[in-house]
Amino acid sequence: MNRRRFLESSAAAATLALVDCTSGPRLNVYNWSDYVAPDTVANFEHETGLRVRYGTYESNQEMLAQVLSGNSGWDVIFPSADFLGPMRDLGLLAPIQHSLLTNLNSLDPVFRAPPWDPELQWSVPYMYGATGILYQKQLMPAPQSWADLWNAKLAGKITMLDDATEVFGACLKKLGYSLNSADTAELRAAAQEARKQKPLLRAYLNAEVRDQAVAGDVAAAQAWAVTAAQAIAAAPDRLAFAYPREGFVRFADNIAILRESRRIEAAHRWIDYLLRPAVAAAIVETTHTATCNGTAYSLLPESIRKDPVLYPPADVLNRGEWLLPQSTGSQRLRDRLWTEMKSA
Amino acid sequence: MTPANRLRALFLTPAAAVMLATLGVPLAIVATYSFLSRGAYGGVEIPWTQENYTRLLDPLYGGIFLRSAWISLLATVGCLVLAFPLALFIARSGARKNLYLALVILPFWTSFLIRLYAWMFLLRDTGLINTALEALGVIHAPLPMLYNEGAVLLGLIYGYLPFAVLPLYATLERQDPALLDAAADLGATPVHALFRITIPLSMPGIWAAAILVFVPCVGTYIVSDLLGGSKTVLIGNLVQNQFTSSRDWPFGAAASLVLIGAAIGMLLLMRKSREELL
Repeated sequence: MNRRRFLESSAAAATLALVDCTSGPRLNVYNWSDYVAPDTVANFEHETGLRVRYGTYESNQEMLAQVLSGNSGWDVIFPSADFLGPMRDLGLLAPIQHSLLTNLNSLDPVFRAPPWDPELQWSVPYMYGATGILYQKQLMPAPQSWADLWNAKLAGKITMLDDATEVFGACLKKLGYSLNSADTAELRAAAQEARKQKPLLRAYLNAEVRDQAVAGDVAAAQAWAVTAAQAIAAAPDRLAFAYPREGFVRFADNIAILRESRRIEAAHRWIDYLLRPAVAAAIVETTHTATCNGTAYSLLPESIRKDPVLYPPADVLNRGEWLLPQSTGSQRLRDRLWTEMKSA
Repeated sequence: MTPANRLRALFLTPAAAVMLATLGVPLAIVATYSFLSRGAYGGVEIPWTQENYTRLLDPLYGGIFLRSAWISLLATVGCLVLAFPLALFIARSGARKNLYLALVILPFWTSFLIRLYAWMFLLRDTGLINTALEALGVIHAPLPMLYNEGAVLLGLIYGYLPFAVLPLYATLERQDPALLDAAADLGATPVHALFRITIPLSMPGIWAAAILVFVPCVGTYIVSDLLGGSKTVLIGNLVQNQFTSSRDWPFGAAASLVLIGAAIGMLLLMRKSREELL
């Protein structure tokens, strides 16, 4: 998953603070690009006197490849929910000490007991997101379900994400299955759907779809809500976003501390700082993301709080399904079906 | 060892050490990984196995290898056809040679990725070419130029053309112009001379150009991703996927080693047929 390769890292470059490592204790934070405000790190350093080495990554895999050694030099990371279980099982994570966090209660109730870590033993939810359909408003009728992306009338004007989990997720949902299915027959049926759809597709695009939707090359696209929100901001009278009727992928990124860290206390200070509602709200205002912080949400201007793309109502979100980790066998079958479908 | 030999060994050691450290050691790691098992979440685990190689025997992967070889072959032929006249022109343009050569190399100053994005801007439905043609009334609906095999081929030829021009130029530039005078004196037309003298004498350069284009083309994945819209899988994509989304490092390592082996085999084959030809 490289859903954020696109968040061109101008802000990330600015915040990639290559600090003088000779003075003072230093905290090493490894985060997705464009996931903090330009002044978040600087304000933390100023306030605490701690120095922060801040690096960014574009996919969970990239982050995991680094920290797998147990000697990566990072203290705090931001894995997606479906990566938390595996990382905990591999012994990579340190437990979260609730006694060191004063702002935990600012989390939205949903995220105080999320299904992937109900007691927040290993992680603190940070941002969440979902996948849906970005489309041109002039389309009649407007796409409301995944099945609408199989419409032959739109041939050559549809794009899907270039990501097996997402494409098979949409196919599984179209067929009425769970998007985490590990059932061979269900997965084969889903791959068959993907194969049927392929001739109608313009391309498999992740972030690039944003510009092409704005330019009008693409009529309907499977897209991440964050990408869609950016596209809609650029062309508000032409583009809209739908959360498909059948259900959709939901994901959440969480803050976690690595077991290798020798700065556990500083890491908790950083987490508590990010949990502070004013800090979290400032981050959302500059990055256009969906925060798990309920108090921060209430501090946001109404234009963001009412944004139906980033913050859809609960009944919409409830149609979504959280991504879970796949077993090795299911992962391998999915990879093979994906390769087969792409080569067909 | 004579003092001269010792001196030579002394000066060669740093280069050999760098090669060993940056090529030999990583390759050895890749080779080791390719015989291990997939770690559940990436990485590799014991036990040792050759399953990663037997999996490659699957016709699915054979098809991917063949498609990659075919599109690379097309790109190589395209590059040679375009590069030969250009190299000939540069070799015969006297004082301006260096200027033209510099122009051939100039695109390397910009990242290949950025140049591919530039092509996307040209080829898109709302891109420069379609917009211009529509404004001129030549077409009424945009031509589908992006996200097909043609666009991938175009990107490959565009990207690797300089690799074909340079070796061709090097051989053509060394050819004695007196040979062409002699051919003309003996009654050969310029076309005759081209096919009987210039091209046969350029064979080493043509082979070098073919290899320099073909080998990197086979392994590329960025062109088929960006200009092909990820609608096909080439070997490069297959390997890349194993190290990212599929998290099957041993299989990716095996596939890339087979790719390297195939490339080396191809080079040997080309050298052999070249020796037979010359």
